[in-house]
Amino acid sequence: MAIAMDFDQEGILRSSLNGEVSILNPVLSTDNISSAVEGAIFNGLITFNEKLEVIPELAASWQASKDGKTWTFNLRRDVFWHDGRPFTSEDVVFTYNAILNPKVNSVRRSDYIINGQPIKFKALDKYTVQAVLPVPFAPFLVRMGMGIVPKHLLGGKDLNTASFNRRPVGTGPFIFKEWTSGDHVTVVRNPKYFLGAPKLAGIKYKMIADDNSQLVALEADEIDEAGIPPKDYERMKKKAGIKVYDYDVLLYIYLGFNLANPKFADLRVRQALAYATDKKQLVDLIFKGLASPASAPTAPISWAYNSNVPKYEYNPERAKKLLKEAGVNSLEFTILVNQGNKEREKAAVILQQQYKKVGVNVKVRVMEWSALLKIVNAPKDPKEFEAVIMGWSLGLDPDAYSIWHSSQYPAGFNFVKYSNKKVDRLLDQGRLTTDKNERKKIYAKIWQEIAADQPYIFLWYPKALTGIRDRVGGLSKPGPAGLFVHLEKVFIRNAQVRP
Amino acid sequence: MRRNKAAIFGLAIMAIFLGLAIFAPVIAPYSPDEISSAGASPPSWQHLFGTDDLGRDVLSRSLYGARISLSVGAVAVVIALLLGTLAGAVAGYYGGWVDGSIMRAVDVMFAFPSIFLILAIQAMLTPNIYNVMFVIGLTSWMGVARLVRGEFLRIRQLQYVEAARAIGCGDLRIIFRHMLPNAQGPIIVAATLGMAGAILTESALSFLGMGVQPPMSSWGNMLMDSQAYMRDAPWMSIIPGLLIMVTVLSLYFIGEGVRETLSPKERHAGS
Amino acid sequence: MRKFVLNRLLQIIPLLLGISLLSFLVTRLAPGDPTALFIDPNIDPLELARVRANWGLDQPIFIQYLVWLKNALLLDFGRSYTTGLPVITEIGERLPMTLLLMISSFILTLLITIPVGVISAVKKNSWFDNLFTFISFAGMAIPTFWLGLMLMLVFSVKLHWLPAVGNLALPLITMTIGSLAGLTRYQRGAMLEVLNQEYIRVARAKGLPERVVIFKHALRNALLPTITILGLSLPDLFGGAFVIETIFAWPGMGRLGVQAIFQRNYPTIMGIVMLSAILIIVGNLLADIAYAIVDPRIRYEKK
Repeated sequence: MAIAMDFDQEGILRSSLNGEVSILNPVLSTDNISSAVEGAIFNGLITFNEKLEVIPELAASWQASKDGKTWTFNLRRDVFWHDGRPFTSEDVVFTYNAILNPKVNSVRRSDYIINGQPIKFKALDKYTVQAVLPVPFAPFLVRMGMGIVPKHLLGGKDLNTASFNRRPVGTGPFIFKEWTSGDHVTVVRNPKYFLGAPKLAGIKYKMIADDNSQLVALEADEIDEAGIPPKDYERMKKKAGIKVYDYDVLLYIYLGFNLANPKFADLRVRQALAYATDKKQLVDLIFKGLASPASAPTAPISWAYNSNVPKYEYNPERAKKLLKEAGVNSLEFTILVNQGNKEREKAAVILQQQYKKVGVNVKVRVMEWSALLKIVNAPKDPKEFEAVIMGWSLGLDPDAYSIWHSSQYPAGFNFVKYSNKKVDRLLDQGRLTTDKNERKKIYAKIWQEIAADQPYIFLWYPKALTGIRDRVGGLSKPGPAGLFVHLEKVFIRNAQVRP
Repeated sequence: MRRNKAAIFGLAIMAIFLGLAIFAPVIAPYSPDEISSAGASPPSWQHLFGTDDLGRDVLSRSLYGARISLSVGAVAVVIALLLGTLAGAVAGYYGGWVDGSIMRAVDVMFAFPSIFLILAIQAMLTPNIYNVMFVIGLTSWMGVARLVRGEFLRIRQLQYVEAARAIGCGDLRIIFRHMLPNAQGPIIVAATLGMAGAILTESALSFLGMGVQPPMSSWGNMLMDSQAYMRDAPWMSIIPGLLIMVTVLSLYFIGEGVRETLSPKERHAGS
Repeated sequence: MRKFVLNRLLQIIPLLLGISLLSFLVTRLAPGDPTALFIDPNIDPLELARVRANWGLDQPIFIQYLVWLKNALLLDFGRSYTTGLPVITEIGERLPMTLLLMISSFILTLLITIPVGVISAVKKNSWFDNLFTFISFAGMAIPTFWLGLMLMLVFSVKLHWLPAVGNLALPLITMTIGSLAGLTRYQRGAMLEVLNQEYIRVARAKGLPERVVIFKHALRNALLPTITILGLSLPDLFGGAFVIETIFAWPGMGRLGVQAIFQRNYPTIMGIVMLSAILIIVGNLLADIAYAIVDPRIRYEKK
């Protein structure tokens, strides 16, 4: 076991971020770059382990009432803010009420509103918080991971403009030190952290937006950690001083059809396109095999995953036959794809060639992300697109109501206008059921229905590839939660014991 | 006179490239979009310039890319020249408040960091090849306008213009028949430099993903796509990189040659 | 002269109004809005509408413009949507980094350009002239991002001489190579032109030493176009460096601006455009004045 001398007491982890930190307040931040830094500074009531199971953090324990509507959280009593003030239930209630305040520009508000009614948060005593839900709601607990912010620093202030957002104070393993705009954020060890003082003396998050530059910086030993493009995987694996990890993430990429468009109304046409899609070629060419073909709107690492769905293995002859049966002599459509995402751009170009083989003409239109979202999100019927390549990152809960429920069109994320009564019913049921095994069955049925209908052609499940320099130790088991699940246990090896 | 050799060399290169671009469908050994599961492979007899990450023939893509890159450069520069010459000629000829307001408009355009303007307009129009041409042209005419105005201010003081005016020639006639031909030297120079600039701008736009869009190949987006493969498949970036460089250099040399040939001062300096 | 300066100063007002209106319209007409970026199946679209309303984006566009204008006159450019910071602060954090890069590049460029340009002109068509002609053209002909990455691969990965990111050296070299070419050409051309002028011939005929002719008489006049070009290249201060800033992770204005456009962060876009417009106009004005001082032949009250 690691003893104190095994690691460098002064060791600083040189981390890298794939873009710019915008705001360090979990209530307000919307990008995962800011969230990555917030993870070191703030804590939630709950958090997740390597297997993405819910584990206690600021809450030591919790109970749900029989009817599933009242949840009681018992908070830890040994937690202090970085400025020395004790953490209490007031802070928790303050944080959630801030999110629910319409004047606060938090987009997370809808997470805490169920059927149009907000969840009510109450401090029962200094260390007990109660949440009252209007109806039982299965995804509730996983949404309790929101970082808690201090009432004594933010109470009575305009949260949107508070200077706190630039100089955050949290309860987490690291204390905010400095932030140079567009360049780096530094955090230092919180010696009084309630799970034990971190082994790292600090973390310097360097912002490097360009992927190639990030890789070069890792190779040049300027940073300890960077994402690795699939094509560099083999080369980096051979590189001395760097270890490469690959693990699955909760994300799938798809080609979605506008079902409101008569071109795609016939199921046989969608099936034909599914048969014409050589997913293996996609994965091989774009990822050198470091991704896996997808077949359902869930990911293999989700607990609700079920592989028993219609698969539509590559079969161009079958595709041609189905098109003929559907009476389609010439099919031509445009695939929209967002610019700046090379993988999806390439996918569109490859699909164009694959569909050409079955006599389907595809045009590719690359659009700026915001412009593309405008088309997809505009609450009108029908929407002005034919097909689009996008991805959904999945929550920890399998609930997919907002993507597949017919009520989520035209406003909402069911922008392909998928409508299946059975799926609607199952989605409602999945939200109200709290038994995990029951839910697993419900979602298995939903995935089967959707895969059979092919409103999307599910393309691939990406993998995360991360390169870490050997001097870094104490990583968690590679998994969807990343390699730094227990940040306080990460350390820098002493120079003399470095391998 | 060595400069003129360079200019002739440049002209020859441009003529060859133009020919290759025009006859791309005949010359190209493969379809530029044809993919193969083999992925990137180094130059060989089957693929003289190798293949890219999607297994497409780099030679064929370069040939088709020549069409795109050269036409982006040419069309953008024509737009810039038309706008710039018109604005500059009118401003320089009439002077006074006409000049004042046109030059202020030029200032407005100059005052925008051009990349922001290009990005904003691109976002508005969605990036495709025509918009790339249009946007580059629209944001690069101001230099030409200033130049032509300067020439006109100079020329209009000359005796023959005064003479033309004295015998009652109309404004348009004076501008187009008498003054513009005398300003053509700098305009041609500006055109060659402008075309070179437009080709480079397209490649910079490609860096942001706002240039010519796939599957269409331009040298700029080929170069951009290749940058991640610089070490694994260097041929992917060396070929378009060289093509851009040689083209831009040729254009510069042509411009330089024209400048020296047409400039009367330089002429008697050289003799 | 005073009248000229005053006149130009007065012209700045409609100029800035024009720029602000144009950029306001262009940014608002681009499809998409700042909340569109928060795509997440867990976010209710109604919440996005609420955030938009908090930002005043539900108002008619001309009202939005008037509100912006009113605040801008009081030097309040609003707050960035992404960071919540006042735009002025946000820009203020980036400007010094941009200036550092730009000014060092300007100085380095001039240090190389002036002697090279002068020697090239004086020794026209010598091997020196030809070599530098080729080098400077080549420098201009390489796409910046390609040059930057090549330099990075050579100096950071292979040789380990210079850090790849967050260091001034590589971005400075890349930027200087890019701008060297243009200026050297201008300097050489201007020098050539001046050397052929009558008064230089007269000076030479008078028997003045060549050194005096070149540095005292010729260079002084040949600096004019260089001044102009420097003035003209000011806009690049804000946008032109974005490629270099992105590749070398340099926290300057170019990246801030490009990102603001992609994120539809309207207040930041407007702030950057206005600030750069003001600086550019002032820069041009100064260049014109410098011109007038150096070259008394230029008169301003033509009509």
